[in-house]
Amino acid sequence: MKDFIEYIETSCTGLPDNHITYLFKRHILDEMTERANEVTHSGLRDEKVLADLMADEYPDLPVQYKVWSKEYKKKKLAKTMRLVMGLGGVIFFILMFITYFHVSRTTGAWDKTWLIIVGGIFAMIIFYTSFGIKRICRMRRIFHPIARVLLAACVMLFTVFMFLFWLMMVPELVVWPILMGGIILMLVADTIFAYATKQKFRTVTAMAFMPIVTTMLYIILAAYDIVGWLTGWPIILIGFLTDLLYIIFIVINNAKYFMYKREDEE
Amino acid sequence: MERRLNAELWDKMHYLFRDFNDRMVHVEFNYDFVPDIDALKTVIICALEKVPVLHSKFVDTKLSTHWEVMPYDIDDVLTVAYPENVSEAVEDFLTQYIAPDSHLQIKIALFIKDGKSTLCMVENHMCMDGGDLKYFLKAFCENYSQYVMNGKSPIEFRTGSRAYNEVYSGFSQTESNVAQRLFKNINSKDKHKFPLSPNHISDQSFIARRKFSEDVLAMLKAKGKEMGATVNEMLLASYFYSVYELAGFPASDKLMISSAIDLRRHMDSVEDKGFTNHTSWMQCAIPERGRDIFETVKYVVRSSNKFKKDKYMGLYGLPLLNLGYSIMPHAASEEIIKIGYSNPYMAMSNIGILKGTDFALAGNEPTDAFMSGAVKYKPFVLLTATTYKNVITLSMCVRGNEKDKKIVENFFDLMEKNMNTLIGK
Repeated sequence: MKDFIEYIETSCTGLPDNHITYLFKRHILDEMTERANEVTHSGLRDEKVLADLMADEYPDLPVQYKVWSKEYKKKKLAKTMRLVMGLGGVIFFILMFITYFHVSRTTGAWDKTWLIIVGGIFAMIIFYTSFGIKRICRMRRIFHPIARVLLAACVMLFTVFMFLFWLMMVPELVVWPILMGGIILMLVADTIFAYATKQKFRTVTAMAFMPIVTTMLYIILAAYDIVGWLTGWPIILIGFLTDLLYIIFIVINNAKYFMYKREDEE
Repeated sequence: MERRLNAELWDKMHYLFRDFNDRMVHVEFNYDFVPDIDALKTVIICALEKVPVLHSKFVDTKLSTHWEVMPYDIDDVLTVAYPENVSEAVEDFLTQYIAPDSHLQIKIALFIKDGKSTLCMVENHMCMDGGDLKYFLKAFCENYSQYVMNGKSPIEFRTGSRAYNEVYSGFSQTESNVAQRLFKNINSKDKHKFPLSPNHISDQSFIARRKFSEDVLAMLKAKGKEMGATVNEMLLASYFYSVYELAGFPASDKLMISSAIDLRRHMDSVEDKGFTNHTSWMQCAIPERGRDIFETVKYVVRSSNKFKKDKYMGLYGLPLLNLGYSIMPHAASEEIIKIGYSNPYMAMSNIGILKGTDFALAGNEPTDAFMSGAVKYKPFVLLTATTYKNVITLSMCVRGNEKDKKIVENFFDLMEKNMNTLIGK
């Protein structure tokens, strides 16, 4: 242990003399001691070799300190955030009900103010789910599809709220195309997520989404009489055309890599 | 403190080979002295700590796979024994099998008799191939020597990534892109088999060896130079010719023998890489036996030259395997890969020259050194060649019976006869 303390102290010369540094040194010492116990248990008797082996496992403590202190601050911040979010959730919930009763009583529009409750609950679900998505993204790739499903669910919640909102506020408006818009938004959000997190087959899914997006777009535009039902259908073809152009682009771009032939085959 | 390691592509591939061989790599070094056992234990512990995959168990959850680093006791790794019959003890030790879910992936034994010793090692091929094992043993012996002679801590072992894609590290970006798109599935399609007896429940692993005197190597080199062939190609030609004779294949038959190639040839340096597998197969095919063995050599040279010309030699199919393993749960990918993969019935691995200085323990060079590949399950065979102090040792590890032993010995006789014909002895 004396060797480890000496090694840590020597290696950490120059680091700020504060609580975080102390915690870091303590953490490294604990880890080194635990590892040393493991190795001793395996049968290593030479103290000098043990000290050198442990030192070799922690070759650059100042660099490790930077990573560790960053992680430590992040964890501390996350802890505070969890507390704020927990308390914030309760406060938000109370405020939501106060607002609901206040607005309902002052306006007397009880048939519409329930949207405040629905909107508030949806907003809370989306808010907390977004943190869940962020957390899943840090996990192994096998869990990432869960994040994609949650993201889609968040977008659909938002869409449903928008649908209900316009339905209640402007009854004469044709609101069902909003749900089609929700599907577009969901597919776009998923594609952005797939590219941002470098998911496998992201290009394939993006290409599969493209005709669906243009089809939904055609329905929305036709529903609001921006294009005619009979004349607007070529919009759907744009999706397939975009896919085709993209395939051509990929083929041309990758041709130089796939064109390789062994000399004997030539 | 639970530690996990990634199960890399080659680890998974060698795990899949469980149907074809026992995945053990064998080493035997004979010394004229007895090493310091305590020092040996210290070096082994340091080696295992620096290469944690050697004391890990392979976990297959069907969905995915990984290595779990496990605690161990040095006495479980190193066996020190004083047997009456050393060669029997060595044979018994070397033919053992280490299960992938065992806590240790390496076993070492030191057999001592009359002031001489034999250091044996058995290692799971999933952890590293012959190329890296040679490097590991060199580092092991160097560390031992430095520790015993200069008191230097034996911690100088290479560490780093074990990923298969390190094989592309020596390429430019464009070359790497090309290599990573070589999805072509190259397999051995030959159905000719080494004429061993049918499988039987009583079959046991054995290692058959044949040594060739010092002058054989020199003469093979000289004759090879004359014919434009390497020693490896000369051995391969003898292998082909002997198999034709042994199995009685018609001389007009096309025959294929896979030869192991070290993919490290594509890498600039392995100094910052972990111990792992980087070995692929080169399918050497000859259109017919040839009128004599000299013609067989010509066919072999022609076939291997085709491969040598290829910049991406041995890299075909790796992206396909990687894709197979990465898009599906492990159990499903194994089934799919098994459909596309056909293990070569006959193969050869030339581990190459073992330098005495590389394996000297505190200045004591081995009097004899030998390495061999895994014990193959019939009908698959692998001929391994190692060269130590200009003596070529051919070995074949088979799970078989007395009849198979005789067949392999007969094969070695034919090899000897054909090599003698080649060198005009």
